[in-house]
This record gives sequence, structure tokens and C-alpha cells, in this order.
Amino acid sequence: MAPERPSRPWLLRWPGLLLALVLALSYRGSEGDVSALFSPGARKTLADFVRGFWPPAHSPEFLSLMIRPLLETVAIAVLGISLAVVLALPLSVLAASPSALSPLAKRAGPARRLARGAARLVLNLMRSIPELIWALIFVRVLGLGPATGVLAIGIGYAGVLGKVFAEIFESLPKYPAEGLAAVGASPLKTFIFGVLPASMPLLGSYTLYRFDCAIRASAVLGLVGAGGLGLQLELSLKMFAYDEVAALVIALFLLVASVDQASRLARRRLQQSSGLLRQSLPIRLVAAGSWLLACLAAAVFLRFPISELLSLEAGRSMLAFASAMFPPDLSPAFLASVGPAIVETVAISVLGTAIAAALGMGLAFVVAAGHRRGEELKRRGRGLSRLGVNAASWLARAALNLCRTLPELLWALLFIFIVGLGPFAGALALGMHTAGVLGRLYSEALEEVPSGPSLALRGSGASRSGVAVFAVLPQAFPQLIAYTLYRWEVNIRASAILGIVGAGGLGKALLISLSLFQHHRTLTLIGVVVTMVAGVDLLSGFLRRRVQEAGTHTENERAAEWAGPPAASAGAW
Amino acid sequence: MKCWFPTLLAAIAVAAPLVASAEATLRVTAIPDEAPTELQRKFVPLGAYLEKAIGMKVSFVPVSDYAATVEGLAAKKVDLAWYGGFTFVQARRLTGNAVPLVQREEDAQFHSKFIVSAGSKAKSLRDLKGANFAFGSVSSTSGHLMPRYYLLKSGIDPDKDFAKVAFSGAHDVTAKWVESGKVEAGVLNESVLQKLFDEKKIDPAKIRVLWTTPPYFDYNWTVRGDLDPKLVEKIKKAFLALNYSNPEHKAILDLQRTHKFIPTSAENYKSIEEAARSAGLIKD
Repeated sequence: MAPERPSRPWLLRWPGLLLALVLALSYRGSEGDVSALFSPGARKTLADFVRGFWPPAHSPEFLSLMIRPLLETVAIAVLGISLAVVLALPLSVLAASPSALSPLAKRAGPARRLARGAARLVLNLMRSIPELIWALIFVRVLGLGPATGVLAIGIGYAGVLGKVFAEIFESLPKYPAEGLAAVGASPLKTFIFGVLPASMPLLGSYTLYRFDCAIRASAVLGLVGAGGLGLQLELSLKMFAYDEVAALVIALFLLVASVDQASRLARRRLQQSSGLLRQSLPIRLVAAGSWLLACLAAAVFLRFPISELLSLEAGRSMLAFASAMFPPDLSPAFLASVGPAIVETVAISVLGTAIAAALGMGLAFVVAAGHRRGEELKRRGRGLSRLGVNAASWLARAALNLCRTLPELLWALLFIFIVGLGPFAGALALGMHTAGVLGRLYSEALEEVPSGPSLALRGSGASRSGVAVFAVLPQAFPQLIAYTLYRWEVNIRASAILGIVGAGGLGKALLISLSLFQHHRTLTLIGVVVTMVAGVDLLSGFLRRRVQEAGTHTENERAAEWAGPPAASAGAW
Repeated sequence: MKCWFPTLLAAIAVAAPLVASAEATLRVTAIPDEAPTELQRKFVPLGAYLEKAIGMKVSFVPVSDYAATVEGLAAKKVDLAWYGGFTFVQARRLTGNAVPLVQREEDAQFHSKFIVSAGSKAKSLRDLKGANFAFGSVSSTSGHLMPRYYLLKSGIDPDKDFAKVAFSGAHDVTAKWVESGKVEAGVLNESVLQKLFDEKKIDPAKIRVLWTTPPYFDYNWTVRGDLDPKLVEKIKKAFLALNYSNPEHKAILDLQRTHKFIPTSAENYKSIEEAARSAGLIKD
């Protein structure tokens, strides 16, 4: 039966009711307390914040103190993402469907299938464990310093990059590979000459895109002693030096914004090009050379202990640390104490995502409405009111950027002071950061909605809000839900670490087990995080497919599944 | 792509010696019980003094994780470390041969102070049931282990009887949290509290000391067990030679907040280990 387009969104039918129930439970589970946000104490703290923020610390002493951590943050991100690419490429080739690389073979051999399974498992493991947990582990093995940050980002991001790279290889047209295989090229050559060239622009632009995130991650890793801006920010926050906090936030904001802009330009160039390998040789050399130079400069700046890292001793201490973790602590008493923390972690992730969806949607509508109204008014040539609309849209965009700039952990440090310790602060923090991410994706989705239905409604006299609700929203709906679910998958990882700063969930247990050298417990907790992440991935994937099936989009399946870099990257943010 | 990786490897091979340094240095670290910037500032004159006294380059390795200093000593990444009583016990258990050399005279008689905000009605530890409570770092002796031990002794199980327990991470942060009312009560080491009062970083009118623990052994300077005994002897002598009436030494000692270093030994920390065991922080 052809699905009739429902007259009401499913929000009013049983899935919506279930959602309401889940949200209510999450609100309870994360000790939600809206009144705490508006209590006199919270208002006073907020007032203190605002008063303390201005003017930002600008003594030459403090500014010069900021320069090194800022550069460190960038250098760690550069090396980290480079390591991630180096690790991800071979794994992604193994993890891609065999038919993408040897298109003529009827059935992949058992060895190839085994290798594929192993590669996917490794990628999933790398991806499921949050960078901060990797950092907490590496800090033990490698000691403090940038190597910890680089490895944590390298391994955590290799998981995501590898997964997306494999998807890219699978999604490309197979003709070149088939042609090469038909004339007898080996699978490796088929890959290098038949698959890689066409995928280069996508690989490059996705890597650049992740570089933005690596900068933010690198700023946070400072919290566990991996160098960078995070440490200074945490200290200033905890010591109530709000003017320093303001200066650091502004610095981080400018850094993220400029990297964002640079990478957007580079990505646009990449997408217009027909692939790095088909470019002229000088361009290729310049691109590769400048990347290498950046890595080298970063390594020298950080005094990156490469020889030490590659030494036998480092390998041995890493092995010793890993083997000390086995077997996991599965004693009933410990497991019983982990149970409530798991529930709390899930509740934080759900409530945080819901807050983000609501807040992000509001801001996205302002951004998108500004975009549409701007176009409309431009046609009519009304300059002045265009200015107002543009200003609102610009402000909303700035708010989104600000939300996004501060990582969850830093928002959590802020909210702990406003609503007190505990999971509600964590959910709010998750909500703020994710609102920035989702808002931007939402606004892009809203701007891309075909304008036919809106114009029709406008023409028949509907109000502006009527158009938004009945013409714009329904068209973008499946896309919006998919983005939100993607983010939920990311947020479950984030909520597992918020406890490190006192914002509820599993993080506290993890911090305690690491501090007390209870390695068996650490392993259990990591296992719990990985299982939780996998569970949420499965559930969210199932829900996304359901929403897309019920959706009204008429695009072909391929496009719905691989919605290009934006959709895939939504999960990666 | 094919041609990039060999180039990258070659570049790394060339750069590696530039990056690594091979000079013999005494690597020193300290648990981050205070802000790392503060630790670094405190170390500068002491480092210069040690350098002269032992005739060897001395470098400070800043650390922001207590447990990492322990792993660092075990992995021979540092030679000399400033530990709390509990981190020393952890290091000793992990390495089997870490040797405590000296401690400040105060460290043989150390105390923790439980503090509450000035308006609090609590009169004893028992009244803190149901409160939001802040320890310092999980690995801290005076900010977690000993306070937990004495709380348990007076019938309060921190994991059950407090509404919320948070680890602020450092002593000065705990004091700030209590002063601002973010938590109703907290515990920190007496010497940092005194410093915060002296430097007027905490308003004495806003917090009240509820209870002080009995004395116990805390901080010490520990060396790796397999360090050259001659070098160890030189380090120990250098610490013990610090004299408060010498103006140059006074500056160093003031930063360490003491008048004098005294010898110490592993036996002094048996009671800390016992406390850690009975508080459930170490298990055998």
C-alpha cells in the first residue's frame, strides 16, 4: 500500500507518546530541575558571571600566557588528525565491502571476510571509546604531554574517519574498478587506480571537516593533562577568574571560527576539483608538502617524543598496562554500583539531545527565516527591513557558533556552578553544545527545502508561522529527525565522560577506578561504555530507517542513505 | 598517496633526533594538589638550588593527574617526585622499591580540616549527613583518604550518607566551592587553607572549620629505588642542608611553606596504608 501522507505528524500518535514518556523518564533520571535554573542562587551566579566576564583579562602577562596553549592546541590537533588518517586508511580499505575493491569476484574468500570483520571491530572499538578516555589511559602509559593528546585524537578519530572512508569507497560508481579488474589488475592496484582517485575529494573534505572537531577536542584534552587550552580554562573557571575565562573563550572562539572558515574554503575548492590525483603535479606536491611541513612544525613545536614513542620500552609499558586490566571486574557488588550510573548516563544523553533539539530548532528557524526573508526582500528591493532580518539571522548564527565552540565538558563546568553538581548540569551542558551543532545542521536543512509549498501557502494568505509549521517543517522533518538521532549517538559517548568534572553519569566511577589503580574495574567500565554506545547506535539506526521510510522524501534510496558529507558528518560532530 | 608515506617516515626519522634530547638530567615531578602553574612557580628556586647542589641539570615535569606521577616513577620517566602519603603508598606498592627521602617538619604531623559555609548549622561530622560534600582529588591523602577514613570512623559512609559527593580535584578549589556555597561542606589540607587565608584568597567570614583530623604522616620527596645511591645521598643532603636563617634558603623554604626538611622512611607510612585499606581505597 502506498503510504498516505499522514495529516498529523507522528508526534501525536503512539511514537510521539512514547517519546514523551522517554523524555519524562530522562528528566527524572537526570534529576532535572528547571526551578534550579531560575533560583535566586543561580541568578546570582549568572549575574556574577556576566559581571565578571567584562572586561576580559587582557593584561599582557595573561595574553602571553595564552599563546603557547593556543598553539599547542592547534599543533596537537594537526598531528592527531594526521595520525588518524594514517591509521584509518588501511583499516577502511579492509572494512569496505569486498565488492567495492574486487568487483569481479563472485564471493569474497574467508580470509577477506575475516579481515573485514576484524577491521570493522577495531574501528568500532576506536570510535566507541571517547577521546577523553583514550587520553586518560595514554596519560598513564606515556606520561603527560602532547603525545597523549595526539594519540587520543589519532585513535578516537581514526575510528570515525575509517568508518566514513569505507562508506565513501562503497558509495562510488564501480565502473573504473570493474574495468581495471577485468584487465587483470590486482585488488591493491584496482583500489589505488580505480577507487582512490575518485574518492580523494570526499576523503579530503571529510578529513578537513573533522579537523575542526579535532581542534575542540584538543582544547578539552588539556583537562586530563594532555596540554593545550583546556587546562588553563578549567583552572580559571574553578578559581572563579571569570575575566580570564572570558578571554580564553574568546580566543577559542576565534580559533575555531578561523579554522572553520579556512577549512570551508579548502573544502569548497576540493569539491570543485576533480580529485587530488588528477590535479597537476605541482599542486599535488604543494598540498602534500604543506601538510607534511605542518606536521613537522607541530612535532618540533611540541617537542614530540617520536623516538621515545616508537621505542621498545613504550610498547612494553603499553602492553603491561593493557594486560593489567584483564580480567574485568565482574563482581556483583561492583556491577550493582555501576547500574544506576548507566541509567543516569542514558538519561543525560536523551535529555541533553532533547534540549539541544528544542533550542537548536528555535535558533535554526531564525537563521533560515532570515535567509528566506532576505531573498524575498532583496527581490522587492526593501533595504532597511532586510537589514533587520539579516541582523536577527546573524545574531542567531553567532549564538549557534558560540554554543558549538565550547565543548560539553566546559559547558558542564559552567552549569555546575549554576544548577549545582549532578546529572542535570551534564544534560544542560550537553544540550548547549549540541544545540550549536544541531542548529547549524537544521538551518542548512531548512534552507534547502524546496520553496514551492511555502510560496503556495503564502499565496493563499497563510501567516508566516503557518508557513513555517505547515510547509517548511514537514518537508525537512525526516532530515531533522535523522540529524537529531545521529547526535544522540554522539552524545551517549559524551555523557559517559561528563562525570569526570562532577556532572553525573559513568565518568566519576571511571575517574575513581583510574585514580586508585583499579584497572580491572576500568576495563569493566570501558566495556560498559562500548556496549552502551553500540546499543544506542543500533537503536538509533533502526529509528532513522523507520523515520526515513515513513518520510515523504522522494529522493532515491542511495541519497537517503548516504546524504553526502553533511549527514554523515552530523554523526561525527 | 603512495609517495607520501615514505616521505613522511623519512621526515620523522630526520626530525626525531632534533626533537629528543639526550642530556643527563634529574627529572622531578609533583602531584598536582595545587594549580600546576603554582607548582611550577614554587619549583623554580628549589630546582636551581638542587642543580647547584648535585651538579646535574634538573628539570620539572608538570603533571595534572596524581596517578600519572605514580605511573611516571614506575615507568622511570621521573626520578624524584613530591608525593602525598597516599600517592607514596601507591608508588611503593607499584614499584616495590621507591624510597622516601625527606619531608617538611610539618608533614610528620599533618592534619585535614573539614570546612562548612559560615551559615551552616552543622556542629559535628555527623550533622553533615545528607549534605553535598566535596573531597579534593581521588588520590589525595589529606583531601580524600584520611578524611574518608575519619568519616567512616564517625559513622558516615560518604558513598551513602552524603546527598552528593564530588571530587574538586585540588584543595584550593574545594575551599572556593565551600566559600561560594556550591557545596555545603568540604575537606582540605590545613597548609593550603592557611595559605588561602594568608593570601586573602578566601574570606574567613564565609567559611568555618568544623573539625580537624588527628595528626598523620603526609607529603614527602621520593626517589626511584634504582637511582644511583650516591646521587640519592646528594639529593637528601641538599634538602637537609636548607637553613631558614640563610636568606637564599629562606626564599626556597617559604615557597615550600616550611622552615625545615627532616629525614623520613617508608615505615612512617604504614598507618596511611592501613587507613587506605580500611577505607577501601586499596585492596589486597
